[in-house]
Amino acid sequence: MTEQINDQISAFIDNELSADESALLVRRFERDSEARARAMRYTLIGAAMRGELLDPHPTILRQRVAAALAGAAPISARVRTRWSERFARPLLGLGIAAAVAIVAVGALRVLNEASFAPGAVATNAAPLQTANDPTPQPSYVVPQEVDETRVVTPPTLLTNYLIVHGEYASGLTRTTVNSNVVGTAVESSERETAAAKPLPVGQEGLE
Amino acid sequence: MRTARAVAAQGLLLLSFVGAQAPAQEARDWLERMNGAVEELNYRGTFVHVLLDGTPETLEIVHRNANGESGERILSLDGAGREIVRQGDRVQGILPDQRIVLLESRRDVSPLVARLPTSSEELESHYEIRMRGNARVADRAVRVLEIKPRDEFRYGYTLWLDEVTAMPLRSQLTDERGRVVEQIHFTAIEIPADIPATDLEATIDTAGFTTLRAPESSPSAGANISWRAVVVPGGFKLSVATQSQMAGSDTPVEHLVYSDGLATVSVFIEARETKADVGEGFSNFGSTNAFSLTLRGRKVTAMGEVPPQTVRTIATSLVDE
Repeated sequence: MTEQINDQISAFIDNELSADESALLVRRFERDSEARARAMRYTLIGAAMRGELLDPHPTILRQRVAAALAGAAPISARVRTRWSERFARPLLGLGIAAAVAIVAVGALRVLNEASFAPGAVATNAAPLQTANDPTPQPSYVVPQEVDETRVVTPPTLLTNYLIVHGEYASGLTRTTVNSNVVGTAVESSERETAAAKPLPVGQEGLE
Repeated sequence: MRTARAVAAQGLLLLSFVGAQAPAQEARDWLERMNGAVEELNYRGTFVHVLLDGTPETLEIVHRNANGESGERILSLDGAGREIVRQGDRVQGILPDQRIVLLESRRDVSPLVARLPTSSEELESHYEIRMRGNARVADRAVRVLEIKPRDEFRYGYTLWLDEVTAMPLRSQLTDERGRVVEQIHFTAIEIPADIPATDLEATIDTAGFTTLRAPESSPSAGANISWRAVVVPGGFKLSVATQSQMAGSDTPVEHLVYSDGLATVSVFIEARETKADVGEGFSNFGSTNAFSLTLRGRKVTAMGEVPPQTVRTIATSLVDE
């Protein structure tokens, strides 16, 4: 999966693609299960970042697919289609949405579906916005969401949590965790600045 | 003739299946060896830990294993020179920059989470594990092992494992786009048969430091911990649920541990009125991300060596059952 298609999927979920681009991408979803799965994961990540996991259904993705299919009419009108394809088309969006919903089961494990009753879990859940809502929608791409909510926490208690957490880390990550305990030994003001920086998504590798 | 062809074709199919399985098994064996090596070997060395902002920090590590009991000391040679000592029944975090010593009880957790999943399929349904070739690190021959996550809820790893001992001499954590978010690189390492216990003694003089220690009590595993995360990324399972007194907290802290066998996420739940109040939102220590929020009047923090969306997903899905 190329960087370009990943960016396209992000833009699609953020409703930033043109109608033609959206239609092309939705056609790709029909045949490319990996792209479909990635779209679903991006939607779920966005929902997680926004505290919207109370709604396990890919509402945003369904809306985007439906809008793309509606917006694609001028393109498809140029093609003479058989009657079966014309009748099948409205169902296609539902099919894709269902397909991506199935992918969700693999990406996140819902341990107790009953707990999804409204208000049962996250207290800071934001309402879902619809595609027609004139309010500007925040991006569903992870980095922006992370930046918005990042705060500095008192270092001592968090450091203590980290020490205790390190006791439970696997052999693979224990040295990393303990290095993080001692490796964050910057002055408080520097630490606060460092903690306020965006996470490394979008940052170049360290090598 | 037709039968002979069919048998030959089946044989080829079988060979190709075995051929595909063998490298995966080899990678899995190296992973198992590595997991044992970091705990069971005696080693001392110097490594560079590259933090999120690209700043390298040099650290010294001494790891000792005697009679099945392991201890470790890591000292930062740069900056404020913090030190962590895990020895006997306690963990000591020495923070000269704050003139504080954090004293915690060591948890006897090795049977619970420090092991890889017994089922290869279980691990490999969430990670692709493969050998990537040979290289050289700290003047030692190494095998390169690559562990790629199959979704965006966990990090990937590239490990340079000592050819002789399987000790990881270099490691990289990578995000979902394959970019390095943190790395550890040994510049020198010694793996002797024995290391004296005195080598684990703290090197920092803590005279005049404030010691924060938990009130006397042992972690009560199996206590009636009613909190659970109801949405977790696939493969993460609850492996520990305890309640204990912790240094710096006025009331007992409930602690849940979720693990997929490689990555671990801790969830700490404590009273809202705690003196050392924790802010809300994201924070990070190197590759360890944390997310804190208030749920039902309790302060919740989830942290782990996983992408930020994973700690938030787990933290926000907590319910008090």
